Amino acid sequence: MIPTGIVRGALVGLSAVVLALTLLIVCIRCGRRYRQRRRERIAAPVRALLLRLLCAEEDDQSALLHRLAEIDKRTWTALEPTLTTLLGKVAGGARTALIRLYELRGAARDAVAALNSHRASRRGRAAQVLGQLAHRPAVAPLCRLLADRDPEVRLAAARALGRIGDPAAVPDLLESLHMPRSVPPGAVIRSLVSLGPGAQRQVAAGLRQEPLVRAVAIEVLGAIGAASRTSEIARALREDPETEVRIKAARALGRLGMPDGLEPLLAAVGPDRPTALRTVSVGALGSLGAVAATDRLVELLGDATPRVASTAARALLRLGPAGQGALRAVADDRAGGPASAQARAALAEVAVGGARHGVRAEVAL
Amino acid sequence: MAHVLIADDDADIRDLVAFKLAQGGHRVTAVQDGMAALKTVREQPVDMALLDIRMPRMSGLDVCRELRAAPETATLPVILITARSQEGDVEVGFAAGADDYIIKPFSPRELSSRVTALLNRVER
Repeated sequence: MIPTGIVRGALVGLSAVVLALTLLIVCIRCGRRYRQRRRERIAAPVRALLLRLLCAEEDDQSALLHRLAEIDKRTWTALEPTLTTLLGKVAGGARTALIRLYELRGAARDAVAALNSHRASRRGRAAQVLGQLAHRPAVAPLCRLLADRDPEVRLAAARALGRIGDPAAVPDLLESLHMPRSVPPGAVIRSLVSLGPGAQRQVAAGLRQEPLVRAVAIEVLGAIGAASRTSEIARALREDPETEVRIKAARALGRLGMPDGLEPLLAAVGPDRPTALRTVSVGALGSLGAVAATDRLVELLGDATPRVASTAARALLRLGPAGQGALRAVADDRAGGPASAQARAALAEVAVGGARHGVRAEVAL
Repeated sequence: MAHVLIADDDADIRDLVAFKLAQGGHRVTAVQDGMAALKTVREQPVDMALLDIRMPRMSGLDVCRELRAAPETATLPVILITARSQEGDVEVGFAAGADDYIIKPFSPRELSSRVTALLNRVER
């Protein structure tokens, strides 16, 4: 039996902790709101000027640009979050005007300096600004930031490098995947994809590195349409010891749509291969659009693994008239068992999808 | 001179669009969510609505559907605003009854032209 005094003391202590935490949360929120309002108040007089600049004709921008470039540091700091937001949301003359404003203000130089700030929020915002400005001289310091102690800053640096579009950042982006302070693969992939076909050679260098890097490199090469890398990706599908890498290779071959992808994909659907690899490879045969795969896909309609069979049915649909004809023939075969059922299900799905599309079009009209 | 409603939870975009349209001679009412947009349309005559797709409380798509469902607003011209990453919403937007869409990042000048073109089309 616990003495009543101890229970009472514990309850009082717990209540005090809850109260203190509540007060802390309220104080933090109030502080944040106060700072936000203060910033808005300081920026208010020049905000109208900024909107005029963004909506002005090119000939009228010059005077407004110079007025905005000369505002004091305190007002600029208050206005900067708005500028950063708008930089990512406007295009055309408005975006050009914003970039000119940053140039006149020397903001790119300040942002490069802010990459070394002790405050993570400043480093992150500086990276964001440099990315929006596509400021190439910032590539090296941004690459260093990929190993920042703050995960948000690492993410901001990866995004900024993608926006800047310099292939020189590829080795660091790939390396950031397996550093102790890593960048999530999804973010690295998006950045590498936005570098475009110009980064193909540097990305392909990742095919000889560790499994995660190989998988990412293959996915990126598929996404940027690096058709000249088909044979290397096909080799990865045939020979890579890691299933995950082979799955990425199968998907990439489907996306690239080159005839060289057919043979390794047909080999990868064999019954002795892992189910996930077989499923993706079957889907990739459909993406590839190779009519030569029709017979093999028809065989797979009766596969013992339902996922493989249903993917084969969808792949046949993607092959166009030849695949759809084969699917109909199997569906009409009443003694076809599971294969026939898969074919009928896929054709019914298409019919329902078509009907739904018709309803949508009617609503839109 | 048209009365245009702009609904966007992003104050910077809302102000920018409102400023550009006001500069073009339109009367603008700016609100920050879908519920407020519907309320405005029901309380005062509006010639066009510009709706951000992703908004708190009620999305631009839902506002568009509500507008189309009510006889008095069924023909109100609607332009949807969406981010590039949400381009898939465009098809759904047309199905919901939108007349046009604008993808962020956008040029204020292009936005103004689209608004004028749609208003002219409706007038004819």
